[in-house]
Amino acid sequence: MIVCVSVVGHQNNPLYLQSFTEEDDALKLHHVVHCSLDVIDERVNNPKKTGSTLNETFLGLLYPTENYKVYGYLTNTKVKFILVTTDVDVRDADMRNFFRRFHSAYVDAVSNPFHVPGKKITSRSFAERVSTIVKSFGLGGAV
Amino acid sequence: MEPDVSVETGCMIRIAVLPVGAIPQAHLRDYASMLVRHRHVDLSSISSFYTEHQKSPFANQPWDSGTLRFKFMVGGSPLSPWEDFQSHRKILAVIGICHCPSSPDLQLVEEEFANACKGYSSALVKRCFAFCPADSQVEETEALMVLNVAVKLEFSVFLQLEDCDVQIDMEKRMFKWYPRMIVLQGQLGSAIMLPLHFDGSECYPVTLWAKPLLAMLWLAFVLVGDIHYFLFPLEDGGRRGDNLILFPPADHQTQQFHLQTMMQDIAASLLMEFEKWVLRAESSGTILKTPLDSQTSLSSEEVIKAKKRRLGRAQKTIGDYCLLAGSPVDANAHYSTALELARLTGDFFWYAGALEGSVCALLIDRMGQKDPVLEDEVRYRYNSVIVHYRKSFMQDNAQRWKVSTLSFELEATLKLVRFLCREHAKEVVELLMTAADGAKSLIDASDRLILFVEIARLFGTLGYQRKAAFFARQVAQLYMQQDDSLAAISAMQVLAMTTKAYRLQSRATLTKSLASSDEISDGGKLNPQSVVTLFESQWSTLQMVVLREILLSSVRAGDPLAAWSAAARLLRSYYPLITPAGQSGLASALTNAADRLPSGTRSADPALPFIRLHSFPVHSSQVDIVKRNPGREEWWLGSAPSGPFIYTPFSKGDPADSNKQELIWIVGEPVQVVVELVNPCGFDLTVDSIYLSVHSGNFDPFPMRVSLAPNSAKVIKLSGMPTSMGPVTIPGCTVHCFGVITEHLFKEVDNLLLGAAQGLVLSDPFRCCGGDGGVILFEGEIRDVLISLTNAGSVPVEQAHISLSGKNQDSVISVVYETLKSALPLKPGAEVAIPVTIKAWQLSTADLDSAGGKNTTSMGRLSKDGSSPMLLIHYAGTTVSAAQPLLVVPHVGAVASIMYICFVSSFRSLGPWAQSGATDVNSSPVPPGRRLVVPLHVCVLQGLSFVKARLLSMEIPAHVSETLPCLDKKSSNLISGAKPDSLVKIDPYRGSWGLRLLELELSNPTDVVFDIRVSVQLENKMKEDQSTFVVDASDFGYPETRIDRDYSARVLIPLEHFKLPILDGSFFIKDSKSDANQGSSRSSSFSEKNTKAELNASIKNLISRIKVKWQSGRSSSGELNIKDAILSALQTSAMDILLPDPLTFGFKLAKSSIPPADIVDLPKEANILAVPPGSKGSILAHEMTPFEVFVRNNTKEMIKMKLSITCRDVAGENCIDGSKATVIWAGVLSGISMEVPPLQEIKHAFSLYFLVPGEYTLVAAAVIDDANDILRARAKTNSPDEPIFCRGPPFHVKVIGTA
Repeated sequence: MIVCVSVVGHQNNPLYLQSFTEEDDALKLHHVVHCSLDVIDERVNNPKKTGSTLNETFLGLLYPTENYKVYGYLTNTKVKFILVTTDVDVRDADMRNFFRRFHSAYVDAVSNPFHVPGKKITSRSFAERVSTIVKSFGLGGAV
Repeated sequence: MEPDVSVETGCMIRIAVLPVGAIPQAHLRDYASMLVRHRHVDLSSISSFYTEHQKSPFANQPWDSGTLRFKFMVGGSPLSPWEDFQSHRKILAVIGICHCPSSPDLQLVEEEFANACKGYSSALVKRCFAFCPADSQVEETEALMVLNVAVKLEFSVFLQLEDCDVQIDMEKRMFKWYPRMIVLQGQLGSAIMLPLHFDGSECYPVTLWAKPLLAMLWLAFVLVGDIHYFLFPLEDGGRRGDNLILFPPADHQTQQFHLQTMMQDIAASLLMEFEKWVLRAESSGTILKTPLDSQTSLSSEEVIKAKKRRLGRAQKTIGDYCLLAGSPVDANAHYSTALELARLTGDFFWYAGALEGSVCALLIDRMGQKDPVLEDEVRYRYNSVIVHYRKSFMQDNAQRWKVSTLSFELEATLKLVRFLCREHAKEVVELLMTAADGAKSLIDASDRLILFVEIARLFGTLGYQRKAAFFARQVAQLYMQQDDSLAAISAMQVLAMTTKAYRLQSRATLTKSLASSDEISDGGKLNPQSVVTLFESQWSTLQMVVLREILLSSVRAGDPLAAWSAAARLLRSYYPLITPAGQSGLASALTNAADRLPSGTRSADPALPFIRLHSFPVHSSQVDIVKRNPGREEWWLGSAPSGPFIYTPFSKGDPADSNKQELIWIVGEPVQVVVELVNPCGFDLTVDSIYLSVHSGNFDPFPMRVSLAPNSAKVIKLSGMPTSMGPVTIPGCTVHCFGVITEHLFKEVDNLLLGAAQGLVLSDPFRCCGGDGGVILFEGEIRDVLISLTNAGSVPVEQAHISLSGKNQDSVISVVYETLKSALPLKPGAEVAIPVTIKAWQLSTADLDSAGGKNTTSMGRLSKDGSSPMLLIHYAGTTVSAAQPLLVVPHVGAVASIMYICFVSSFRSLGPWAQSGATDVNSSPVPPGRRLVVPLHVCVLQGLSFVKARLLSMEIPAHVSETLPCLDKKSSNLISGAKPDSLVKIDPYRGSWGLRLLELELSNPTDVVFDIRVSVQLENKMKEDQSTFVVDASDFGYPETRIDRDYSARVLIPLEHFKLPILDGSFFIKDSKSDANQGSSRSSSFSEKNTKAELNASIKNLISRIKVKWQSGRSSSGELNIKDAILSALQTSAMDILLPDPLTFGFKLAKSSIPPADIVDLPKEANILAVPPGSKGSILAHEMTPFEVFVRNNTKEMIKMKLSITCRDVAGENCIDGSKATVIWAGVLSGISMEVPPLQEIKHAFSLYFLVPGEYTLVAAAVIDDANDILRARAKTNSPDEPIFCRGPPFHVKVIGTA
């Protein structure tokens, strides 16, 4: 189950953070997301990308923590998508698919003329769309 | 578990460093830090201290390259139950540190040290270092030290002894050649100068007896001679016990050298002890026990196994000692044996231990080498270590005896991590996260603490600052669970380390790192680091938690300053996220913390209020001496003091550099700086004192006290006096608030505002608090201000005159001159407040650009010097006196809106004047007057801006009813005494044919909300008395339009009350041209101009009656200047709006059809709406309905015409004519010839019989015969033959009934 998705701006400023758990663990998830920036920073600063992976946006598993696994995705504009899940076994393809759709949702959200770049994303329709994507995660079908 | 473990830990000799006797913390720290530098002692350097007593068991000791490693446990450490398992856990030596001045009795010191050593049974070497012995202490000892001097080179030693009684028991010559004993005796603090020449190439052991002090001096001088290692004190022959070593008072470097020598001695002693231990263990064996063994009793069948086990364990321990002795090769040999034996006996725990030791030996052996093979080897072996520790974990042990090997497993993990740290981040992260998971099963709370500390540190070394911070927080939480203040202090300190990762460093720590970059980026540019800080400050959820934890821990730790700083940061940065109750809680936390602080405490972190620089007084010379012209009442005219030039190029500043203004202050003259204070929180804030903070030391600031209501802002003037020449830099204000003194830097607030502008910071405190300082005005804002003038001179002001000069004079709407006049003569010290009304001017586009740029960087929002209007005050006294009165604008009146004027009282002009005045007095009896120039410092911000205007028309047909829709609405309304009906309500019976709406599109580029209110002043000319009524449209209940920030809105203004009652020829130029007179072209053109002017005037009049007023917040309101825009929008259709049509048409139901009862009820127009629409004016089908059509002539001439009436159905088809006609009529409907007398109306009756119920439309139209020029002009036609066609508005008829 996906417990949290987050968008972090290129200056490591949080743009969007949504948790999908019943419990009151927002703070914990904030920490998990915040900590994952370390790993992303490191990968950004030491790119070991060559050839085919040069344009790879999917960062894969960033790190496991307690009961969670944290996955990352980095857009060309250095906006980071971070996903926290409790699933132990996640198929890479599912994860890629998720991030691809999440990315397009994000692109739509920031294309909104009322959105100020660099500010938090407050769009309700973005939130709805994200929760749809999250719900359909792992079901395998494109929605 | 232990902190700071690494693979190399296994070869470190543990030395307890204990303070002996009373010793001040600072000294202990100092001595300990000197000591810990000697963590590594090379084997080569200790060879001279080392004597081989037996054959060394460390056969492969690398004497050239090997090292002994020490780990100093300052303060000692508790005994570990595992020290048999890992020998490096033993305390192998004890070093006492004594500070002689605080422990006068050395005997006591010795005893105390001996007692302390008893706790460390495993210690093999014990030394007590006594620093800074006093003269008396040395005298007492009379100890002589034996120095063994091995000389290999020729050198000279100079010992200088002043004031001495030195006995040298040998001659130079003898010393030179023979090893002899010299006895030196001297006073403390003395130096011996003894030139000694050694030139031998052999070793000469020289025994030198001296007081220890002098021996040290000797060494010191040798050090200076750069030959440090030839002189070694080996044994001291004094009466004092072995252990106490006195260090002479000397400089740091010398002491360092002494220490080094001592450490080498200790190292050699330890090495010899290790040899002894190993020899003994090899020969007689040793019993090694761990907590694991003590719990498990060996079963009898395992006895043989046990013997082997014991052997293996002994080998492992010998290996440990080899490692400690710096001989990895020997260690490895022993470990190999141990591994073999442990594997055979299934002794996993010791197997793992031996394996760990072997890895350590491997690394020590290959020290400095770096190759992937080695790395893989280490990783492989360590993984095996971890596995074996895990294997040796026994559930039973863990539960019954609370003994677990888990901590060894975790330690091994941490060791591996530390080893891999430099290269393999990903692997390390995974290992660390696994280790973190292990924390849950750790039994000992302090083990968990150590684990988290280590994890945090390792993440830190990896560069994972955020993760490090996360675990540091965990550490802090563990500390917080312990209920003592030391733990709380630790928690606080740990949390303080996390602040960097969370970007909420205290300024105290931040300033150090920023100090260098500050200087570079001083020019108003934002520090890149602060930009990043701004960005990351969005992790407010985390930041607040951390700050709150810091606050809690510092309260518990009893550190009021840290608590104060945390609360201040919390309040200052996150007030928008904190409830008012929480804000008050923080305020009381601040007060509580301050209560426990000594008064006058400073904190690096400012709390409230927010302070920003508002403006500097920017006038150089406002008070000029003006020669009075006695002959004129306006005596100042013609006596401009500005020299021969009307325009001085120097008076204008470079407009490009308007941000940076040169200010010149004069020593001894009080100056003022205007700052704006904001309290965005929900409590009353009292600033005990606030003053300008100046570091240059040539400025005396005057403190003042301010109190700020909740959510309020204040603009205050801070004054001070320059005391000496030189630049004065004012970086901010010093504030004494909540009991602590803080410095509030303007630059920080600028950064904050910049962040707020970019949406990075939670909120701009200056925005949310509507201040009463109204100097910043939006375009068009109207504000009443008070200008307070005080006579600061010694002579009464008898005459005074105010005039305006400079740009934007028209923005000063009114100055109440009378107030000043009536206040004359103004006695010295008297004050007068002059009300002035200012309307902010429009910014030019250039201004807008610069203002926009300025706003984002917010450079104090200095008003532009050039654009402010100036008040010119000429004044004079009448007495024949050289001294002139001096008018000052010192402070501000107390009225709701206040103008703050920065002002320099220029006393210096008095000086030169007094001289020249003396000569003047002779020539003219009239003393000169003075001129005071007061710029009205208004900063105009871009306000609501006008985008475009356009004219829309809205056409709604009227309903036919019993009354005519009022054709002359204005008069009828006024006559009937009813209020004009609402501008927005459209009465369906009246319709609104030809209603024009002026649409204004406005946009709000500012950061405040504007409420727009449109008002149209109706100037109604009563027919009777021509009196003018002005009705404000606000009476109509016309709603306000709100324009949010960054939005635009459209405002509609109905233009229907402007039609003139009469269509007059005077409006048409063409008419006047032909009609007016046949006189000269000159008069014609004059008349033409005249009428044109008249038209323009009426258009102008129309426009001037439309007022768009805005209000923003409580205090600012103004008017939009959009006359030009409206004019251009109306230009083409002004006539349509202003001029009535020549004919107006109207339909009504003939009265005969109305039941008489209803006539009484006939509502006035204002009431019509209240009547249900169906009940009145309804027409039944199949019934003859009489109608009347009215035609009104609006011109002053008779109009002949042919009137036609048509009736159309819903589809627009003519339903009177044609085969499918559904309406039958009686009377004439077309081609009705009529002559309507001027300004009269004529009615024509007809009846209609509707066959089908439904909606119908009646339209009247007329073709005017013999149209005159006015009509032609109105119809905008030029051809005289074209028929002029007038069409009335459509009228709706609703026919009910059954078909």
